[in-house]
Amino acid sequence: MITAALANVFNPVCLFLIWVGTVIGIIFGSVPGLSATMAVVLFLPMTFSLEATRGIALLVGLYMGGISGGLISAILLKIPGTPSSISTVFDGGPMAEKGEAGRALGVGILYSFIGSIMGILALMFISPMLAKVCLLFGPAEYFSVAVFSLTIIAALSGKDLLNGLIAGLTGLALSMVGMAPIDTKVRYTFGNYQLLNGFDITVLLIGVFAVTDIILAGFGRRTLSQRLEQKKYQLKGYGISMLEFIQQIPNAIISSIIGIIIGILPGIGGSTAGLLAYTAEKSRSKHPEKFGTGIIDGVIASETSNNAVIGGSLVPLLCMGIPGNTVAAVFLGGLLVHGINPGPLIFDKSGVYVYGIYFALIVASVFMLIFERMGLRIFAKLLDIPKHILLPIIMIMCCVGAYSSNSRVFDVQCVLFFALLGLLFKCFRIPSTPLIIGFILGSMFEENLRMALQASHGNWMIFVERPISLSFLVIAVVFCTYTVITNLRGRKQAEEEGKEYHEPEEGEL
Amino acid sequence: MTNKTRDILCSIIVLAFGAAMIYFVKDVRRVIRSDVGSAFVPTLIGWCIIATGAAKLLFSIFTGLKSENKKIVFNQDFFGGVGTIVLMVLYMLAFEPVGFVVASAVYLFLQMLLLSDSTNRHILVFALVAVLLPVAVDALFVFVIKMPLPVGVFGF
Repeated sequence: MITAALANVFNPVCLFLIWVGTVIGIIFGSVPGLSATMAVVLFLPMTFSLEATRGIALLVGLYMGGISGGLISAILLKIPGTPSSISTVFDGGPMAEKGEAGRALGVGILYSFIGSIMGILALMFISPMLAKVCLLFGPAEYFSVAVFSLTIIAALSGKDLLNGLIAGLTGLALSMVGMAPIDTKVRYTFGNYQLLNGFDITVLLIGVFAVTDIILAGFGRRTLSQRLEQKKYQLKGYGISMLEFIQQIPNAIISSIIGIIIGILPGIGGSTAGLLAYTAEKSRSKHPEKFGTGIIDGVIASETSNNAVIGGSLVPLLCMGIPGNTVAAVFLGGLLVHGINPGPLIFDKSGVYVYGIYFALIVASVFMLIFERMGLRIFAKLLDIPKHILLPIIMIMCCVGAYSSNSRVFDVQCVLFFALLGLLFKCFRIPSTPLIIGFILGSMFEENLRMALQASHGNWMIFVERPISLSFLVIAVVFCTYTVITNLRGRKQAEEEGKEYHEPEEGEL
Repeated sequence: MTNKTRDILCSIIVLAFGAAMIYFVKDVRRVIRSDVGSAFVPTLIGWCIIATGAAKLLFSIFTGLKSENKKIVFNQDFFGGVGTIVLMVLYMLAFEPVGFVVASAVYLFLQMLLLSDSTNRHILVFALVAVLLPVAVDALFVFVIKMPLPVGVFGF
């Protein structure tokens, strides 16, 4: 079976299809608004006429390239190409600002590869066991995971916890717009039918991360050409020494595990995996204050985990037929079209194709590593384009990205709304990252809270009676308490020293 | 405006936002008996926002840090910033009726003009970029991705 799968994958046509898929996926992932999902959806009909392994190989390449391509714009433009790359912006962006764009990209590409391989290994060797664990998660557990993930806000709020909370709560509030889960009651639409499905995460990301920066560039246009001169980049290998590589092994392992687990749990996604891994590494680090200033630790945590999600998300898909995220759902459609029925019997009935998927994933990871590295110099050249030309072009791409997410102009207008919100946040020294976290987790928080309470007939004890749920809640409380105490201690120390506690961010009005 | 005044203003906006959140779901009724209802979480978030806003307001008023009373110095180019916002608003309003290619070309040219200064203002380059980029992006979406962008009154 394994030999047949190897023969199917390692033939010129199949390798060519994986290569094409990976390259196109990287392009889709790197352009804000275009996503891995869109790439897989667009090419799905083309796979119908292909032999099963070849069709799936093309989809695998698109999926792999689409997820990893997001780091390019996240680092160079500070715009996450895909939601999975949100946390890559935190340190990748500042590294590019410091003239280390090449290093940030190199490290990001290398650890995307490592994360992918770790996820694939998990998929190959421990998928049946992991799938059983996954079955233990119900709405109560998902709610507790959401609560735990929300505590990231405390860690990412920087020195001003209250401002971080305001941002996080605003994100949660924005996620409430539209039809409610369970009973589809309409909230905060003010008679606008376009808001029935709520705001799109892509639109929020583009508005807050990209367009706000373009407006700020308008306010600081006198210094635009000066900033350009400071931003030189260096390219050497993958931008990491052997010593650093060894030092980062625990980071890579922990981030991979987080990515794999989040990938297995349906409906959470790579963005949460990246944020959790980033927070975990920041909490574990001996120098947490350096996170967000441009260090490789943050880029490694984010990129390793969001790529490990790929292998993780295929575990429930192949073993139980449950798609863990949108791309996996489209992927499931592709498998079914080719007569492959995911489920416990897949290894007996379609073993050749399952092994084919494994090998195709490994090949796609290698292609991604090679071609992203080859294109690194070209990607980094983006920074050479004068800012007064580059920024308006980015604006156009942002609008196209927002429009293409749902094919409606309303999303383009929402981009401006979120950009102005981002500007208001800058004025009030409120960090924008917790806003994104709150928005991502809002629907998961509400839906699972309500489903769990319905299942328990309104008994709130369900959240503490179930061991996994209780564990996550306890961890959330401990983590939150620790962060608050650390924050208060820092504030007290600053007051004693008579220093200003808050350090204004760059570009602040 | 001082840092303190800015924080107080921020707190007031946050308090008003929290109150509005609660107000606009007050009429949403529960339909399933064992469910908490669609108004529960928004109301909870609204109260949390109010609590956070109140804490920030109290902290802003009673903080003893000297830096909080420092005047904020605005060293920004307001014409550039406000001009960028105005151009964006006009671009987004023109996106559908005028069409992607024309609206983008005009926006690109004006935005590049606004962000440039006398030393790096190359009108010919701006014009070329402004025309070629939207045409290329439109062609990519129409012929490759098969997702047409708005065509507008000019038909392209």
